[in-house]
Amino acid sequence: MQDKIVEVNFGPQHPSTHGVLRVKVKLDGEVIVDAQPIIGYLHRNAEKLSEMGYYPKAQIYVDRLDYAAALNMELGFVLSAEKLMDVQVPDRALWIRMMMVELNRIASHFIWLGTHGLDMGMLSPFFYCFREREKVFRILDEITGSRLLYNYFAIGGVYSDVTPKSLEMIKTWLSDFDKNLTEIENIFKKSYVYVARTKGTGKLGLDDTISYGVTGPMLRAAGKKWDLRKNKPYLHYDQINFDVPSQQAGDVYARMLVRIEEMHQSARIVAQVLDKLPAGDFYNKKYSKPMLVRIKATGESYIPTESPKGEFGIYLVGDGSAIPYRFRIRSPSFANLSAAPAMLIGYKIADMTATLSSMDPVFGEVDR
Amino acid sequence: MNLFFFLMSILYGILKFLHIDFVPFASHGYPIGLWIAYLIVAVVEVILVFALAMLVVVILVYVFRKYMADVQNRIGPNRLGPWGSLQLIADVFKLIQKQDIIPTAADKTAYRVAPYLVFTPVVIGFMIIPFGNVSLLNLMVINFNYTILFLVATMIISPIGEIIGGLASHNKYGMLGALRAAAQDMSYEVPMLISLISVIILAGSFNAQDIVIAQRHIPFVVPEFLGFIIFFLAVLGKQVFPPFDLPESASELVSGYTTEYSGMRYGIFYMGGFAGTALASLVIATIYFGGWEGPIFPGTIWLIIKAGVFMLIFLLIQVSVFRVRVDQFLNMGWKYLLPLSIVNLFISVGFALFAGGVF
Repeated sequence: MQDKIVEVNFGPQHPSTHGVLRVKVKLDGEVIVDAQPIIGYLHRNAEKLSEMGYYPKAQIYVDRLDYAAALNMELGFVLSAEKLMDVQVPDRALWIRMMMVELNRIASHFIWLGTHGLDMGMLSPFFYCFREREKVFRILDEITGSRLLYNYFAIGGVYSDVTPKSLEMIKTWLSDFDKNLTEIENIFKKSYVYVARTKGTGKLGLDDTISYGVTGPMLRAAGKKWDLRKNKPYLHYDQINFDVPSQQAGDVYARMLVRIEEMHQSARIVAQVLDKLPAGDFYNKKYSKPMLVRIKATGESYIPTESPKGEFGIYLVGDGSAIPYRFRIRSPSFANLSAAPAMLIGYKIADMTATLSSMDPVFGEVDR
Repeated sequence: MNLFFFLMSILYGILKFLHIDFVPFASHGYPIGLWIAYLIVAVVEVILVFALAMLVVVILVYVFRKYMADVQNRIGPNRLGPWGSLQLIADVFKLIQKQDIIPTAADKTAYRVAPYLVFTPVVIGFMIIPFGNVSLLNLMVINFNYTILFLVATMIISPIGEIIGGLASHNKYGMLGALRAAAQDMSYEVPMLISLISVIILAGSFNAQDIVIAQRHIPFVVPEFLGFIIFFLAVLGKQVFPPFDLPESASELVSGYTTEYSGMRYGIFYMGGFAGTALASLVIATIYFGGWEGPIFPGTIWLIIKAGVFMLIFLLIQVSVFRVRVDQFLNMGWKYLLPLSIVNLFISVGFALFAGGVF
């Protein structure tokens, strides 16, 4: 402590790292002069484990990547596996998937919004957000049978059909969702302190954003209107009206605006899916589970999807056996986190928590 | 000394306390029994003040928990006692039972002393608050001409306890918290004192009781509104309250200067915070809102009502604001509060010169 520069280990056990991120920070007073994120504390070998079993078995590991948005993770895997194994999916299953993924995106963004408030020094929004997230979870629970890790999508469809009761639940939830969310977002937008602290904080320019491979809300907050749902549509996103929110500033405040607008748009998508949901099978009857483990796939496939954190996809290589030869996870949080030093250095230590939480990293996905 | 003298002197002390002149053995100066009588009275008063502070803390913590839970759509403590009212007692017992951990590398003496440096001045501060003016006795523990100066002196000690605690615990977060506490301390203290001086100029006295009596027509918040705002903000900074809870900001510096503290040592910091909130509310009510002055009800009730409103306002602020950044707080202190408090000083000098008779 004799030196002017103090080195502080921010984490891995720290209230505002949201998991097990460790950032080696060098401080000159309150100002960060060097920041080095160190990861690997939640490494669970998901890729290798997935390469050791049949294709459908990988799904439970995929579930646990971004545990805040497990269905979005499953979607990335299922789409990729279906392309590789050449499995057709009935129309109704695609629409159900779209609805579920958007619901889970809302739940994930609610976690982010609540913990973001916590990091900015206010406890109350955390409870409001978790209250609203709980409503989404009730719906997901009704449809899938579990609350956090669903294992619901299957190669060739979904595991169970949506019931009229669950559709009714979604309708009642949608009727006041926008109102409730607006109430919560006003806590942030109308707070003088919040705006003063986040505008111009954690800035990452568009060029940097692209060169670091940052995707998702952070990219859109930096000025690029890039959403895989719009730009490379999968499922039936091309048949649905929704806007891609974007901001120019590229700071914490812009990211907050983008994420909140995304939640509104997700609710819009869910409402449209409810109208358009076709009748029919919810899974491809040709492929029962015993059938799926016998499919021997060759070739490679990668379908990028827009997860709440950014571009997520699984690169699969089949070598002609029933087990994937390569199972590579493209995880958005990992790429986003690589830009952390660029966003932290030069700012104050108080900005660090704001910036880190605005990146919304989930460490199941970073460390895999 | 036999029992008779002892009892006599207690009686003497009580009679003296009630301003009844009864001097049975005044032949050669003060007898020793008189000193003991004063001592007993003083000890009883100190115990009363401590009990009062503790009572306020217990009530405030309970109200705070329930209120916070209400704001946040929770239930709050609801298991122990009626509506969970005994939860704090259970918490205190739990904290006392805990292992007393002192970091190996810590400066042990300073580490032990720091919580008391935060807590004790707050309790001492309660002594100068006038709780009323019943015909026989002033309801305040100590009364002399410079009680407000005494209050200022005690208020300045607590941040030093925070700084010592943070530095002594040999923890980088603790050290950062201590440095923040020092920076914050300097930027709110000067405006706070200047706005206090404005009140003193208006009242023409350093005595808290006189300041209350000077507000019998108009509370000082009317001529001193600017000063009140400054004082209020400074108190928020002093109490390490959101939005100015920088030294112990949970999400940045794990717990700031209390990071290494656990068990009852942490509990003392915690209680010191709540007692300080109560004291700050009492002080604001006393110097800006007329203290115990008020119609119909007895003075003590008026003071409790006024201070209670401010405690609730503090709690409301605590659950409904984001935390400011350090440089923003320092900016506020040096660029806005300090010049404004000097402006306010001139305003009150003007009031005292040209409208002195009104107050």
